[in-house]
Amino acid sequence: MEAGATTARARLGWRVWALVPVVLLAIAVALVVARGGDIVDLIGVNPPPADEFDVRRVEFGPGEIRILVRNPQPDDLTIASVTVDDAIWPFAVDGPTTLGRLRSSTIVVAYDWVDGEPISVGVTSSTGIETVEEIAAAVETPQASARGFLGYGLLGLLVGIVPVALGLLWLPSLRRADARWLAAFMALTAGLLTFLGVEALFEAFELQAALPASLGGPGLVLLGVAVAALGMTFLSARLSGSDGAATGVALAALVAIGIGVHNLGEGLAIGASFAVGELALGSFLVIGFMVHNVTEGLGIAAPASRGRPSLRVLAALALVAGAPAILGAWIGGYTSSDVLAPLFFAVAAGAALQVVVEVGRYVARTSPGGLRSGFVVGGFLAGVAAMWTTGLLIA
Amino acid sequence: MAKFSRRRLLAAAAPLVAAPVAARVALGGSPPPHDHSAHAPGDHAGRGTASRSLAGHEGSAAGGHAAMIGDAVPAVGGPNDLDALAYPPEALPYQPGRVREYSVTALDRELEIAPGVFFPAWTYNGTVPGPVIRATEGDILRVRFVNGGVHPHTIHFHGIHPSNMDGVFEIVGTGDALTYEFEAKPAGFHVYHCHAAPLKKHIHKGLYGAFIVDPEEPRPAAREIVMVMNGFDTDGDGSNNFYTVNGRSFYYARYPIRVRRGELVRIYLANLTEFDLVNSFHLHAEFFRYQPTGTGDVWEYTDTIMQCQGQRGVLEITFSNPGRFMFHAHQTEFAELGWMGFFEVEG
Repeated sequence: MEAGATTARARLGWRVWALVPVVLLAIAVALVVARGGDIVDLIGVNPPPADEFDVRRVEFGPGEIRILVRNPQPDDLTIASVTVDDAIWPFAVDGPTTLGRLRSSTIVVAYDWVDGEPISVGVTSSTGIETVEEIAAAVETPQASARGFLGYGLLGLLVGIVPVALGLLWLPSLRRADARWLAAFMALTAGLLTFLGVEALFEAFELQAALPASLGGPGLVLLGVAVAALGMTFLSARLSGSDGAATGVALAALVAIGIGVHNLGEGLAIGASFAVGELALGSFLVIGFMVHNVTEGLGIAAPASRGRPSLRVLAALALVAGAPAILGAWIGGYTSSDVLAPLFFAVAAGAALQVVVEVGRYVARTSPGGLRSGFVVGGFLAGVAAMWTTGLLIA
Repeated sequence: MAKFSRRRLLAAAAPLVAAPVAARVALGGSPPPHDHSAHAPGDHAGRGTASRSLAGHEGSAAGGHAAMIGDAVPAVGGPNDLDALAYPPEALPYQPGRVREYSVTALDRELEIAPGVFFPAWTYNGTVPGPVIRATEGDILRVRFVNGGVHPHTIHFHGIHPSNMDGVFEIVGTGDALTYEFEAKPAGFHVYHCHAAPLKKHIHKGLYGAFIVDPEEPRPAAREIVMVMNGFDTDGDGSNNFYTVNGRSFYYARYPIRVRRGELVRIYLANLTEFDLVNSFHLHAEFFRYQPTGTGDVWEYTDTIMQCQGQRGVLEITFSNPGRFMFHAHQTEFAELGWMGFFEVEG
């Protein structure tokens, strides 16, 4: 009884003590907020704020331009004047005119823009600083419509589900392959996932760099990678047998998830680029993505060939890997996904690289001759080379 | 897979590749390329604003210049705000040796030059352009200049005067004063401006104004208007963001200048636009007589004149028709960045 009370007090004790730095920090913060200007006065004067807007998205509708702007700086920023092609134009603001830190508004300008021609829009702050955004070619931005929704859906289907499903049709062939060849194909899976992971990581850093510094920086990418890698590790443990290693359908599911999150980012990039007129969706591009992603289906088929998956399970695997492309295309096409995009690619990188580890462990265990066999090394290189070569079609 | 490199390659390659049926289906959701250009002009206005309840301007692209009239115009202030700059003091009869005194103070002022856009200006007497200074030929002009700004300034008058009254060598420091005194000549329309270094900065910040010297033989009675053309580089990149006459963009589009049909309208027009090589004045649906520098006997009959920085002249217009007539810089860029207005001709 006595001991129990002491333990309870001790348990409470460490929690109370843990609050001490937090409380002191709060007091220090309050002091800085109240008297922070005094420090600046001792040193000199603050430079004026840059007062530049972050132009997130420029959309073109019939007789109308919509400019989504964000305030990237700590100081308030007021939309005072709007120019289109160096001409002052009357405008309306959907949202606040004075933007607090990281707040956004949409500026609506009635304007008879010319289809397919370059155009520039300028947003001037109350301090007279003009932020100009050049658009290479004005094209009508797709609006949410049943047709458009279906179109993006079909696009996602074509570049996501169809090639993955086609790739899965290598399954009967892989079933008949001997252990060395299967190891080679597993290594190929690891190679293509490595390629996807590296590519996604690079894309995530690139997209992140385009965001205002106040929205995260490289830490945003690390967050996405860590969440995905740890999440996949957790999932892998749940799906694995008692020996702790994922095999067969469980491993195929992990590969499918890794590929799926990658396709989510890819669909988003395609949808967003097309929506803002930066991407021409030629048949060449669609074919390129199909060829590129067929190899992803092969990557799922290789581990699945050592299980006995039903047709329903195989269909589910194809959906998990391919369907996120549809979702991504919708998100990219209809929303301002500037923060989501780097996060999605970071998640894709983390997931893909974690699955590489899983596949590597499997190959090490099952391959005749282990990881150093010619089949494994050749397979891995073939995977990277296949992705790079087919990637040229969409580069 | 950078977006731009994709675009370049695919835009070029797409037409070369035969499109399979599947790919065509995927593209079905996108609009035909020239779809929107087929809309009737009136179509745009309704679609732009009706679906949304937005506070703000009713202007529309389809309305064109019609949308840039009255309250829809993005211009600052009330209807008579610029009267002191636009309507000069009366000309006085010729009386040699009479003293005309003016007091001019350099003041640093934050001026609203377009709605919500503030420019940290250097001013004479708090406005850009500065006050209209007027004298008759033969008057002794006495201008007491006080520098209330944080930088050294001067006043350099165009005209004929002694070297030490030229506002070039006698720099007036902060808090200091200097009285410029000289005989007003020659008759004509001139300008004055600061001549402290760096000159470009001191002029584009706003230190300039109109200087009228009336001739011995008075000009015919007329409704007189002063227009000083200028620009404001609000973001300091060496090019103007806003253009105006008398300091506020689109001001005379929002508040047209009222004149009567058949009366003589005389405009004293000067160009003090920094950065741009020339500025110009174009009047719609009417012609005018133009006397460069307001001197000499040569008048041009035209509807468009151009002036280099520091050039000026006198325009005389007699409107033939009642109604609303546009005037603006015929550099369309300047016009659409604020240098545009209307005459409202009554009767």
